[in-house]
Amino acid sequence: MSRRVVITGVGPISSIGTGAESFHAGLTAGRSGVSPIASFDSTGFPHVMAGEVHDFEPARHVRHLDPARWGRTSLFSAAAARLAVQDSGIDDELLHTGRAGSCMGTTGGESQVLEQLTGESVDGGFEAVDGTRFAQVPAARLAAAVNEELGMLGEAFTLATACSASNYAVGHAYDAIRSGESDYVIAGGADSVGRWSHAGFFRLGAVAESQCRPFDRDRTGIITGEGGAAVFLESLDSATARGARVYAEVLGYGLNCDANHMTAPDKDSIKHCMRLAHENAGVTPEDVDYISAHGTGTPANDLTEGSAICEVFEGSPPPTSSIKSMLGHTMGAASAFSVIATVLAIHRSFLPPTINFENLDPRIEGLDPVPNEARDATVDIAQVNGFAFGGNNAITIFGSAR
Amino acid sequence: MTTTAPLTRPAASPAASATTLAITGMGVVSPFGDRSSDFVEAIVAGRTSLADVAGHFDAPLPRPEGHYLAGLDARAHLGRKGTSTMDRTTVLTLVAAAEALSGHGDVVERSRFGMVLGTTAGSTRSTSDYSLATFVEDKPYLVNPMIFPNAVMNCAAGQTAIRHGLRGVNATVAGGQTAVLSALRYARRMIALDRADHLLVGAAEELSPQWAWEHHHTVGRLGATTPAGEGSALFVVESAATVAPGRAVLAEVLATEVRTHPTRDGRDEDFGDTLAAAIEAALADAGVTAGDVWAVASSENGSRLDAHEDRAIRAVVGPDPLRVRVKHSLGEARSASTALQLAALVGLSTSGTAPRGAVMLATSHTPDGSVGATVLRGGGDA
Repeated sequence: MSRRVVITGVGPISSIGTGAESFHAGLTAGRSGVSPIASFDSTGFPHVMAGEVHDFEPARHVRHLDPARWGRTSLFSAAAARLAVQDSGIDDELLHTGRAGSCMGTTGGESQVLEQLTGESVDGGFEAVDGTRFAQVPAARLAAAVNEELGMLGEAFTLATACSASNYAVGHAYDAIRSGESDYVIAGGADSVGRWSHAGFFRLGAVAESQCRPFDRDRTGIITGEGGAAVFLESLDSATARGARVYAEVLGYGLNCDANHMTAPDKDSIKHCMRLAHENAGVTPEDVDYISAHGTGTPANDLTEGSAICEVFEGSPPPTSSIKSMLGHTMGAASAFSVIATVLAIHRSFLPPTINFENLDPRIEGLDPVPNEARDATVDIAQVNGFAFGGNNAITIFGSAR
Repeated sequence: MTTTAPLTRPAASPAASATTLAITGMGVVSPFGDRSSDFVEAIVAGRTSLADVAGHFDAPLPRPEGHYLAGLDARAHLGRKGTSTMDRTTVLTLVAAAEALSGHGDVVERSRFGMVLGTTAGSTRSTSDYSLATFVEDKPYLVNPMIFPNAVMNCAAGQTAIRHGLRGVNATVAGGQTAVLSALRYARRMIALDRADHLLVGAAEELSPQWAWEHHHTVGRLGATTPAGEGSALFVVESAATVAPGRAVLAEVLATEVRTHPTRDGRDEDFGDTLAAAIEAALADAGVTAGDVWAVASSENGSRLDAHEDRAIRAVVGPDPLRVRVKHSLGEARSASTALQLAALVGLSTSGTAPRGAVMLATSHTPDGSVGATVLRGGGDA
């Protein structure tokens, strides 16, 4: 079996907007979601900005879960899934089947729960800690929360491939529906801002002081961020039969591993991943109208990724923007936010901008980062890049359903 | 371990034979020792690795007994380069990987040789220690950048890829007790859809104060009598249809099911019916009958959930199959335990304890409603 796979619902819970319309408005306005850190005591850190979702109220979105029993990242995951299902318009009774499942990607899982428990252990050790929240620590809780919230009986699958994980998730959902294994899949990712990751990225010299400036000559690093991003996937036949609004079709994807360095990206490996994705999707570089970059804003990533793009596209790359400039780096949710932005771009004919942009890095001459302002454009084929620690690369390709 | 004679098989359904995976390499690190032979010998002899493990850790444990591989020498196995900053989960993974891959040195082109590694939350010791440093150091950012990747769940899979040049699909599956079952499904899909040729599939978990306390407050609260443990088991899998001539097939993975039992947000623990349906579906997909099943490796750990798993197994395959309960002798190590269940079945086959071509079942479940089963067929004699 080989069915066509489409995205018919999106559920973003982000620092620039919650829900499709608000997120779209944020993208087109070039809104920044970056603000002073509030979720942990940032005293003593030289850089204190992050892309937190201050207004996240799980109880407003989830219908079946008791928020008190779940960590923040699982709640991002379930709430985003609920929004995506609502956005799709599907009768959610149809999801109460073993042929419906979820696939969520993450970097830190519920590590902020572990962090809270660790914080409580500082004075008296773990023996002094109220251990009831240990049950919230397993990362599988992210997909479990989605299945429980939506009543889905198929596999609840959590991928922990760090900052590309939600691209792996969308790819998995594509394979599962295309092959006939599943009929409905929620795919996406979630992560929460945390002290340990903020410290770790800062210590690597990878955190910017106030702005994420992808592809800019003077960029200095990431801004850590959080959120939940989910998309609802089904077969084209299913969407057509129920008269659903189709944002875009998933054309294919590619996965590979640098197998070279745990944190530094590998240009040749990234180029190969792009070629795998193009081949799987049946497209050539000339076909691609827009790239939603991984674009973290670090000197290393953007040079490596930008160069890889220029080489694969033989000096004529399509417009390439990074929404991390607006959201910060939402870790395991990042690729899914890019997927949502990209399918909105395809459906509504615009290009999300790279904000905070002044001067292009001269070493990636020829790249158009869609500086600062969203742009009207016809987008028929688009690419979403996802890279990560451990050289875990995942690139997805989408096409217009027009 | 080698198998020299071809397998004889019962008639299989076309769907099953089209996606059957061959296990052509295995590596196991367990409290019984750093090689699979240590593990298989101990399983066949019925030994336990229960010991007083408290002395191995600086922080107090909730109870002194556990299951731990004392004296695991990372440098002896892995050399000096990079090993001093490695976390234990990564070391357990790398040592098992080296053994599992030892028969695949002829696969020089590794762009389609990948890894699918199961976990629960990575090295929680590393993540927790990293958080601790931000609280206790003079400045919250005075953390060690060299060990930051250890705190991220895909560290072990990334390190394995680097060490062995595995440039194919590299995935980390956070599924807890059912992670390796999800990993087998993912691997089967990757191979069937031509995204990979060889995949190193398994799981690794370390014993640490963090896991011991988490065990105490979670599994322990359900009445588990088995204390926390650790281990790793990795398998090289590939399409059974295209195994290179002369390459030993230790066992075959015929089918794997993973489903969700609706727990009603924690109020309904009894997953028995859902697991029974998963077992039946796996047997059907495998093209075998319940009566073919010779052994079942299940995940009992002494908790009150054991009864649900046992009821599901008996409902489908009855009381006759040999029952293997690795946690009783190795402790609770979640994703690694399920991988050790598989290793036990492969070991029963390769040691000649199981009849040639024996059909075997492994089952597991998580506290959050995931249940799963996999059907193996044993290979030839050791």
